[in-house]
Amino acid sequence: MEHMMSKLSENILDKFSMDFLRNQVLKNAYGNDDTIIAALDPRILIAWYLFFGVIPWFVNDLPFLLGSFVLVMVTTLLARVAGLVLFLFALGVFSQTGYLFLATLLFGGNTSAIAPLLVLTLKVATISLASVTVFSGLDPDRLSNGLMWYGCPERLSFSISYAYRMLPMLMEEFQNVLLSYRLRGNPPAHDTLTGKVRYLIYQVKIIMESFYPLMLNTAKRSRTTVEALELRGYRYAAVNKSVKKLKLSALKVTDNDLLFLAISALWVALSILFSTLL
Amino acid sequence: MSTLQKSAATQSQKLMIFVLSMSLYGLATLFTELIPKFQVGLVEFSVEYFLFIPLTLAMLFDPLSAALGAATGELVFSEIMLGQFGGLGELEKFLTVTIGVYIAGRLVKDPKNRMMVGLAAITGTAAQLLMGTIVDIAKVQFAVEDFEAVEGLPESVFATEGFAFCNDLLFSGILFCLLPTLYLVPKLYGKIEPLLGMAPRTRESLASGLSPKAALVCVIGFVCAVAAELAATAGMSLIDWEAEWAESGTALAVGMVCAAALAVIVLLVMKKNKERNAAC
Repeated sequence: MEHMMSKLSENILDKFSMDFLRNQVLKNAYGNDDTIIAALDPRILIAWYLFFGVIPWFVNDLPFLLGSFVLVMVTTLLARVAGLVLFLFALGVFSQTGYLFLATLLFGGNTSAIAPLLVLTLKVATISLASVTVFSGLDPDRLSNGLMWYGCPERLSFSISYAYRMLPMLMEEFQNVLLSYRLRGNPPAHDTLTGKVRYLIYQVKIIMESFYPLMLNTAKRSRTTVEALELRGYRYAAVNKSVKKLKLSALKVTDNDLLFLAISALWVALSILFSTLL
Repeated sequence: MSTLQKSAATQSQKLMIFVLSMSLYGLATLFTELIPKFQVGLVEFSVEYFLFIPLTLAMLFDPLSAALGAATGELVFSEIMLGQFGGLGELEKFLTVTIGVYIAGRLVKDPKNRMMVGLAAITGTAAQLLMGTIVDIAKVQFAVEDFEAVEGLPESVFATEGFAFCNDLLFSGILFCLLPTLYLVPKLYGKIEPLLGMAPRTRESLASGLSPKAALVCVIGFVCAVAAELAATAGMSLIDWEAEWAESGTALAVGMVCAAALAVIVLLVMKKNKERNAAC
């Protein structure tokens, strides 16, 4: 128990190395502009994602699911996604279906439960890898332009662009506030078990309390942002058709995009053929 | 001017609240996504819900902007940025977070009344968790083939989901939603509003109390979330039909392969030609 507790507090403290997180997120957003996936047209990629993000959920055909899984795995490799994201993907897949399997065993189910759960895992994995490819492989600006072309609300594209730019700053500020709280605070001794529990509670409390100054600071910042946007006529530009047209004129479908689509279609058709032959 | 500010937030102030709620809650959900969950037996200790941030903001400002901002922030920061976007499931999450936070924000008439703040915080959290649980159970039932046939699976789904609901509400709900909200709302009240250029919410302000219209909007939102699931079942039968039709005709599949292969070849040749022309 004591070992677990120390592991828990160590885990939480380890993950709060902000520099690591910031680097990973930034690398994921801006680190891979030169891959094949990043060069594709965002509209084509989103359409591609709509297929691989929705269809596998409804199909129970094993060859088709395996084929789609292999395809999205290849595209994920091509997109050169950051390690942290892949780790989270693995964790997410396990937490969605792995624990369900354990619970099934607990309630007297036998190994016959494995097959449907494997199919479920395959579906979840395919869908999340497709989303990793599209949303991590694309530049945030290209992604938000693509979404805008499909008629997503301007506010969503604004949020995406804003989030990617503000996040490093917000993280740094949170870290500073947290560190200043730690400097002023007096953490309880943590050699005994109760001490460790108290130490953990103390850490969590500090995180909660540091949101108070952070909220005030962010309020100031968001007022500045919105006022700057107002000065440039953001709310009128957001609904103006000609502004949108101007913004989206940079998007262009090339042969590479069509080739990407055609190869995907070929692979899917092959997997369907394979399943009919079986 | 002052009367206008008192009655309701202006458009740009609503945008400020949206941006504020989005960035704060987005940052927090990013952390929760990154902190690994810790399990002792079946009891899960996770810092799952930083829901106190949008709850606090919804109680102090315009509830709808804060709720929408929080849901968008979660979507953009923790789902899209980390590439965890889950398609249809995210719509359900978006709607449940919006409704939960909105209900809590509308319930609070006077932020200085601690009793009311606490009650609203726990109600909003419970509403969000309950809707999530219902949709989760439905999702597993639709996705797994022969759900009833697998021995032990239905019971285990109901048990784990029900247990997760109670666990989340009692552990995360009280520790991470109720207590921080009770701490933050009175402390921020009257301090954070001037930073956005507004008057603090009072008993007389317009945007308080749960009107029938607001309740109706919430119900419609939840119906939408369930409708997404129902659409999923309808889609399932549609695709099943398609799969049958594909099975009956291997020739058709061969045709599809040929067409796709042809497309690839034509595109490759076109690309080659273009490159040659460019080189000349």
